[in-house]
Amino acid sequence: MVITACAPVEDDIFTTARITVTAGDELIITRVQAQVQLTNVNTRQVTTVADFEGSSATVEVLRGAYQIGIEGVATCQMSDGTTRMRQFRSQSDYAEFISKEQNDITLNMIFLD
Amino acid sequence: MASNADSALVEHISLEKLTVQESLHNPALHGIGYQQSFSQLALGIDLQRQSTAFIPEKGKGFTLPYIKVNTYHHLNGSSTVWGEASYTTGKQHDIKWNSTSDYDLLQPYILADTAGGNTRRERYTISGGYAARINRLALGGEMLVRAEQEYRGRDPRMRGIVTDLTLRIGSGYDFMRYRVGATIETNIYKQTNSVAFYREEGVIPEFQMTGLGSEYSRFSGDKRSLYYDGGGMTLLLHASPIDHSGIYCDISLDEHRYHRKLAEFNSMPLTDLYNEHAGVTVGWKRDKGYRLTTLAHLDYTRRTGNEHVGGTSDARYFPVIACLTMYKGQMLDSYLGALYGRNHWNIVLTAGYKSQSEEYVYPHREMKASHVYGKLQGQCFLRPGNKILLTVDAHASYLAKVSDKLQMPFANMGEDITRMIQHKHKFATANYTDLGAKVRADYAWKQTRYGIFAELGGGLTLCSASEHQTQFHSSIGITF
Repeated sequence: MVITACAPVEDDIFTTARITVTAGDELIITRVQAQVQLTNVNTRQVTTVADFEGSSATVEVLRGAYQIGIEGVATCQMSDGTTRMRQFRSQSDYAEFISKEQNDITLNMIFLD
Repeated sequence: MASNADSALVEHISLEKLTVQESLHNPALHGIGYQQSFSQLALGIDLQRQSTAFIPEKGKGFTLPYIKVNTYHHLNGSSTVWGEASYTTGKQHDIKWNSTSDYDLLQPYILADTAGGNTRRERYTISGGYAARINRLALGGEMLVRAEQEYRGRDPRMRGIVTDLTLRIGSGYDFMRYRVGATIETNIYKQTNSVAFYREEGVIPEFQMTGLGSEYSRFSGDKRSLYYDGGGMTLLLHASPIDHSGIYCDISLDEHRYHRKLAEFNSMPLTDLYNEHAGVTVGWKRDKGYRLTTLAHLDYTRRTGNEHVGGTSDARYFPVIACLTMYKGQMLDSYLGALYGRNHWNIVLTAGYKSQSEEYVYPHREMKASHVYGKLQGQCFLRPGNKILLTVDAHASYLAKVSDKLQMPFANMGEDITRMIQHKHKFATANYTDLGAKVRADYAWKQTRYGIFAELGGGLTLCSASEHQTQFHSSIGITF
């Protein structure tokens, strides 16, 4: 409450979130085609992204807390060397994307087939 | 020939004081600002009606009867005391999109719903000050307290309880032919705000508004109990010629902040509002048989709104994981003015430009409007009889839009919010013609300093959006 103090302004409101899906050590994910839905817990705004590079998708979002849902298919390299398309889902009820730099989160895949 | 009581009245209500209003906020200069003591007890009523609410959050008008006593008394040649106490009670009509008191102070961070309705208001104010003069030095202090409650007796039953305390200390010093002054003011503000529903039919959501129709969704709906915690500081600087002839200058700088907290979640901070204001007036005046003042004034206000980002809850405790600046508002008011006055009359002519802009950063929302305006005010003191003094005030002004801008994500906005934003934009960008007049009659008893008075005033504002506002003021009382 000092006269010389100015309002604390935080204009860095966006950040980059990188969401990676994994199926553990037994399967190697070579390609993912899926939709990621990020719901901001505080504002209820929904952001979607479907651009995967390998098993990761990158998106710019408002800094905050998110619920994440992913649904799609992945090309998996099996332990015997064969590849197979598998349908999967991933979900997180709470993830913080607060850092002004990149925020990384890894989610486990749940196969539906 | 005017009696002492008359000349004290003229001194205290003269339009001429408009040009020294800023410096009279300095308690030290207030103590030497008037030559004569004057006290008044008034019983009155203020009414305002709008054909439709120009600003929905403030309603369609009010009916506010009041009783007020104020006194300004020179104890001796070097010290002065003054004080004021008032009680106002009444109704605010048809408020919508606002369940919080003190809208002008706290907007856009208010609690709101779509139903609204009339509210009842009760306001108590009390203030007092003391100033003393020691040779060239003047020192003074003042305290102002406001307690207010606003409530509604039917659903949604909003209640806002406000306490507002202001302390000022000021000094003045005669330096060569100038009187310079400095004031420091500190303010503490609190409001407890809640909305209750008693009817069995159900409840409607209360929105935690965050600016330009946006809301803090996570804590909107059934979170209806919050409080505001705030305050700030003001610095005022003045320099004016002691003989009332020459260049004068007033500077004011202030910073106030208001924190909105959720009472039911362990006082979780939701938003912080920062008001920063700077004002400067530079003028030239002459008081040699007639009064002439010319002045230039510039006022700039910046409003910054930060939203706290709540993390995951743990036993009804929400940690704050980030704070983002989402609301930005700016207001500019600049004008040139001139006052010319003789013994028993004054006229003031003002011409200016003002602009207001609001921005919500993401999803982007923006509303801007700028206007030019001109205002003419006049005042004269007439003496139809030996014991009666009539004071007639009149004003006329015109405010014309110069530019405007509205950018909203209408496709993603609800119907109610869209209508509210369009309504606000329509009135923010309209042209306004304002006319008003006031007559006051004072009857003074000879050989005493006692008198009685009656005052009657009215006003009409015509809006280019085919709407209008009427105002009425009436009071009676005694002077002593």
